[in-house]
Amino acid sequence: MTATVAPLSGPPLAKGPPLKAPPPAGIAVATPMPDVIPARKRRGPVWTYVRRNPTIVAGGLLLLIVFLMALLAPYLGTVDPTALAPAKRTRVPSAQYWFGTDMLGRDIYSRVVYGARVSLLVGFSVALLASVAGLAVGLISGMVRWLDGIVMRIVDGMMSIPPILLAITLMALTRGSVQNVIVAITIAEIPRVARLVRGVVLSLREQPYVEAAVTTGTRMPAIIWRHILPNTLAPMTVQATYICASAMITEAILSFIGAGVPPSTPSWGNIMAEGRALWQVKFYIILFPAIFLSMTVLAVNLVGDGLRDALDPRMAKDA
Amino acid sequence: MLGYIGRRILATIPVMAVVGLFVFSLLYFAPGDPAAIIAGDQATPDDVARIRASLGLDRPFLVRFGEWSWQILHGDLGTSIFTNLPVTTMIGQRVQPTVSLMLVTLILAIVVAVPLGVVAAWKAGSLIDRLVMGLAVLGFSVPVFVVGYVLAYVFALELGWLPVQGYTPIEQGLWPWFANLILPAVTLGLVYIALIARVTRATMLDVLSQDYVRTARAKGLAQGPVLFIHALKNAAVPIVTVIGIGIALLIGGAVVTETVFAIPGLGRLTVDAILRRDYPVIQGVVLLFSFVYVLVNLAIDLFYTLLDPRIRY
Repeated sequence: MTATVAPLSGPPLAKGPPLKAPPPAGIAVATPMPDVIPARKRRGPVWTYVRRNPTIVAGGLLLLIVFLMALLAPYLGTVDPTALAPAKRTRVPSAQYWFGTDMLGRDIYSRVVYGARVSLLVGFSVALLASVAGLAVGLISGMVRWLDGIVMRIVDGMMSIPPILLAITLMALTRGSVQNVIVAITIAEIPRVARLVRGVVLSLREQPYVEAAVTTGTRMPAIIWRHILPNTLAPMTVQATYICASAMITEAILSFIGAGVPPSTPSWGNIMAEGRALWQVKFYIILFPAIFLSMTVLAVNLVGDGLRDALDPRMAKDA
Repeated sequence: MLGYIGRRILATIPVMAVVGLFVFSLLYFAPGDPAAIIAGDQATPDDVARIRASLGLDRPFLVRFGEWSWQILHGDLGTSIFTNLPVTTMIGQRVQPTVSLMLVTLILAIVVAVPLGVVAAWKAGSLIDRLVMGLAVLGFSVPVFVVGYVLAYVFALELGWLPVQGYTPIEQGLWPWFANLILPAVTLGLVYIALIARVTRATMLDVLSQDYVRTARAKGLAQGPVLFIHALKNAAVPIVTVIGIGIALLIGGAVVTETVFAIPGLGRLTVDAILRRDYPVIQGVVLLFSFVYVLVNLAIDLFYTLLDPRIRY
């Protein structure tokens, strides 16, 4: 603190010269800011996105690989996943049978690759259907006050049955098929979405701009479309990703215990179910579908975490 | 306070009624006519109709629901189609393994997850924090049965440290009972640990940024007491809440874990009942699990006032 401050020379600022005039000598003036600050090391928008959202990118890439695998299943060196070859059953992994063969001689590699189709189909269908249905229920419950009590009691009741148990129970009513699995898991997931949407709606109803819209006589559908729906989009997207992940796990569990996708359609869950009897001696039958299932669910969860952090910075700090 | 407890207990009645209605509709809409099954192949339509009338199956939905509820309230869950045993007896035989598994898992999860969450919050942003949170994501992503088989393969088959499968009743000694439960409990607990650790970390981060924590540190208190006494106490409510909600994960997971580890519990009973379409048993198990879940969460709700004296109703 040895430096002394030099007194300002020249007239006080208020009475100073007009701004356009060149500054009098003795007053330091900052050089005008350039319109665009040149970045020291500019790396292109893609790199910036990757650096800011590493989880979304990692999860997204992983998911893309699984998606391509499901799409291109017939061209990935697979054979008919349902072709039986009793003479070649329970072969260990080799150059010919990359992941080995199961008890009926079916090629596990082919079954695993085709199994991606079921997992993705179930995951995305359930995420979509449960979101739409849950959104409808949540909107009705949040907007129509007299229905709220009834709807919420039903939702509470459904939520007090553990979701996996609920899905299993529904499957007991029907035959095992991919469609029925999707419906059963969707029903089990709807209450959670409905709860979330209702919460958002209830807090939005109190917002001044929504009250203003009501006061000025905006019709209910217009209020929902303009003010309510856009605000539910962000939490719904995050929720839908988590539903997708949990639906994939539930499908695998249902198929694993024999109440899901029938054995004729290969799914990661029922490949593992077929390996169950032999797991102590032929562990690979369970191992390969297990790895693919876990990686896919991980990918979806990473995308979900990334979306959550991106869409809701407040939550990013907490969890 | 008493009023609140009363209202809270009354509020569980409609919830259980919805569960009951759902479970009843399950049997009502189930494919297959019980009367036709009992009548056998040679029965005429008249015989079937007579049996249906004698069983009371021809009466309206609500009448049958009322009667069924009345039976349930008297502790009668019906008779298994498959074994002809009362459902309550079948459940009674299977309760011990499941309760053992869940209790061991619950204790394990809390003992592991809460300290992990606290440390992660304390060292927020550090390597430990990232590791714990990474494990949490993994815990959410790897399905229960995958964890189960990998653990069983490594620790039971390859290393031979623990029994591979099965269940030993507690009457045959504490260690054999416990040894059989270690792997299933770790398997079942992983998702639960991930969930609790995540919430503990989030809540603790919130609490640790408050003034009284700074005061506690400023007066020279050691890190341990600050974290585990001052802060954790105030983070307790959300943590206990998520432990209660997570019971649903435990119940769903038990069904799978018992299948993987061949434990003759309620989960295994559920799976067998589903595969045999034994609807009365399915009804009984779903009712029981839901009832327990609702009761646990009711107890936790009422417990809040003890946990945090600032909460008044």
